[in-house]
Amino acid sequence: MSTTQRILPKGVSETDFDAALSRFREIIGAGSVLTESDQLAPYTKIMMAGDQSDYIPSAALLPTTTEQVQEIVRACNEYKVPIWTISTGKNLGYGSAAPGATGQVMLDLHRMNRILNVDPEVCTALLEPGVTYQQLYDYIKENDLKLWLDPPAPSAIAGPVGNTLDRGVGYTPYGEHFMFQCGMEVVLANGEVIRTGMGGIENSSSWQVFKWGYGPYIDGLFTQSNYGIVTKMGLWLMPEPPAYRPFLIQYQDPEDIEEIVDVLRPLRIAQIIPNAVVIVHTLWDAGTHVMRRDYYDGTDSIPREAIERIKADEGIGEWNVYAALYGTPEQIEVNWKIVEQAFGASGKAKIMYGEEAEKRGGGFEYRSALMKGDMNLQEFGLYNWRGGGGSMWFAPVSQAKGSETRDQTELAQQILGKYGFDYVAEYIVGWRDMHHVIDLLYNRQDPEETQRAHDCFAELIDEFAKRGYGLYRTNTEFMEQVAGTFGDPLREVHRTLKNALDPNGILSPGKSGIRS
Amino acid sequence: MHNTTTVPSRHLPSLRLKPLALLGALLLPSAVAAAPDSEPDVRDPAEVYRQVCAHCHAPDKAVGPEITMAFPEAAHEARGDYVRMVVRNGRAAMPSFREAKISDPELEALIEALVSGDLADHSADKE
Repeated sequence: MSTTQRILPKGVSETDFDAALSRFREIIGAGSVLTESDQLAPYTKIMMAGDQSDYIPSAALLPTTTEQVQEIVRACNEYKVPIWTISTGKNLGYGSAAPGATGQVMLDLHRMNRILNVDPEVCTALLEPGVTYQQLYDYIKENDLKLWLDPPAPSAIAGPVGNTLDRGVGYTPYGEHFMFQCGMEVVLANGEVIRTGMGGIENSSSWQVFKWGYGPYIDGLFTQSNYGIVTKMGLWLMPEPPAYRPFLIQYQDPEDIEEIVDVLRPLRIAQIIPNAVVIVHTLWDAGTHVMRRDYYDGTDSIPREAIERIKADEGIGEWNVYAALYGTPEQIEVNWKIVEQAFGASGKAKIMYGEEAEKRGGGFEYRSALMKGDMNLQEFGLYNWRGGGGSMWFAPVSQAKGSETRDQTELAQQILGKYGFDYVAEYIVGWRDMHHVIDLLYNRQDPEETQRAHDCFAELIDEFAKRGYGLYRTNTEFMEQVAGTFGDPLREVHRTLKNALDPNGILSPGKSGIRS
Repeated sequence: MHNTTTVPSRHLPSLRLKPLALLGALLLPSAVAAAPDSEPDVRDPAEVYRQVCAHCHAPDKAVGPEITMAFPEAAHEARGDYVRMVVRNGRAAMPSFREAKISDPELEALIEALVSGDLADHSADKE
C-alpha cells in the first residue's frame, strides 16, 4: 500500500507498526504477512449495512502452527497491535472475513487446517480452525467412516471450529454445535497455551469425550468472545443411522405458525423428532431458487398478493416444516405414526415424504441433504432474491411456544414492512428454544437502501429487546448495540474478564461488544 | 497459572493421525513446527472447483452463473482478469476468496482451466 494511504492500527505509530511487521515476518515468513492492497482486498468484502471504510485491515497474518500464534500475540502485546481472528472467514452476513474495525490486523487461521484425529469408535474429531466442512467430509468418505457432519448453510466453504465458536447451528440431531464441542486448545493473550476439559492432563485419552474436566468449566468463555485464540477444538460426530426419513409438512395460513410450534414442541423435547427442525416461511423457501422480480418488481415490501401467487405457482406453503427421523426402519415407522397423528389432528397440515415431497416447489432436496450432513450451498440462492449483495441475519431467540412465535413474526413483519424489506425468515427449533432467523436482504450497491437497512436492523434489535427478546448472535456492525440489550452488570463481568486475560486489548477488540 | 504450557505439542503424540490425501504433507505430527513461510500444497483446478466453486456454480445449483464454458483464446486474458478480480474482491452475492483459501498458484491454474473449458463437465457431486 502506498505511504499516503497507509492504514495503521488505532493508536499505533508507523514506527511501531513497522517493527511489529518485521517481527511477524521473522515468525511466519515474509510471504505469510500480507500488506499489499490487492492481498487485503478479500478481507474487505462485507454484506452487512456498515460503511466499507470502517472495515479495512492494516495487514493479514497467516500462521500455520500454534507456536507461531503464541509468538504473534507476544509481539502484538509488545507493540500494542490489535488482531482480529478468523478461521475460514465465511461467516457471511455476520461480518465475513473483515476486521472488527479499520486498522486491525487479521489473524487468518485458514492455513492451520490439519485434521488431527477422527475416532470412529467414540465418534469424535480434533481439528484445527482452518479445516472446512468439505475437507472433513472428504476425509470421512475417503476413509469409509460411518459418521455424519452437521454443517450450517455455508457448509462446504465454512468450518466446524469457527462456526461452533460463534455458536452457529446446523440441521441434524447435532444441530446445536456448541453442545457437541468437547475440549479446546487456546492461546491466551499472554502467549501461554491452555487445554480445557481433560486436556490439562498429560496424555489424557478423554480430552474429546468428557467435556467438563475438573473445576470451573470455561470452554464457553472462548465462544463469541475475545479472551483467547482457539487453535484446536474437539467435537462429537453423529454415527450414521441405519435409516433416515426426511419429511415436509406444509401449512397455508400465516396464523398456522402457532399450531405448528405447539404440535412440534413435545415431539422435539421427547426426541421423537430429534433434529434441528426448521419452519420456513414462503419467501425463504422460494428465495433460494425463485427470483423476486418474477413476482414483484417494487422496491417496497413484497405484498401479500404476490406471496399468495408464489405459494400457488411454486407449490410452497406459508409455513414449510422440514424435519427428519433417524434410527432403524422399525424405529422410524413407530415415530412416523406419532408424527402423522400429531400433525394430522387439526386437518390443516399436508404431510409428505419421498417422491411426494420432492415434487413440491420448495427446498426439500437441499434440506434433505443438510439434515443428513451433506455439503450443499443452495441456501445462498437467497442472496439473489433482492440482489445487490446486502444480507444481515437478524436472529432473536424465542421459546418454543406458538403464541410467542406469532408475536415475534408479526413484530418482525411490521418493522420490516415499515422500512420496505421482505420477511425472509425461518425458525430453527432447538429442544425448548427457537432461533428466529430473518435474512434482512437489501441492495448494498444503493447507499440509501443500505442506510435504510441499517436503521431497520437497529430498530429490530431495540423493539425486540423491549418485548424481552434477545439475539443469539449478530454481525460486527451491531455487536455493541446487542451487547447493550443484555444489561450493564453482565457487560461489566465481560469487561473484568477481558482486563484480566487481555489487559492490552490486543485480541479482537469489540467482539460481542467486549473491550478492555 | 496452573495447567498451562508453552509447549502445546507435547500432549499430542497419543493422537492417532490418519492419512489424508488432500492435505498430503500438511498432515505432519504437530510436534513438528512448520517453518516460517512453509508453502501449502497446491490443489489441482478440478479439486478447487469441486471443493469451492461447484456448490453454487454447477448448472444444477444455479446459485451463481455457469463459469465453466470455454472462451475464445483471444479472450482468455480479459476473462482471466475478470475471474481473478471477482474471486479476490467478491461481487454482490459472490463472497471474496482470499489467498489463504485459494492460493495464487491455485487461482491461476483454476483460471486457465476455466477459460479453456477444461472443467465444463464437473459438478459439485463428482468426486
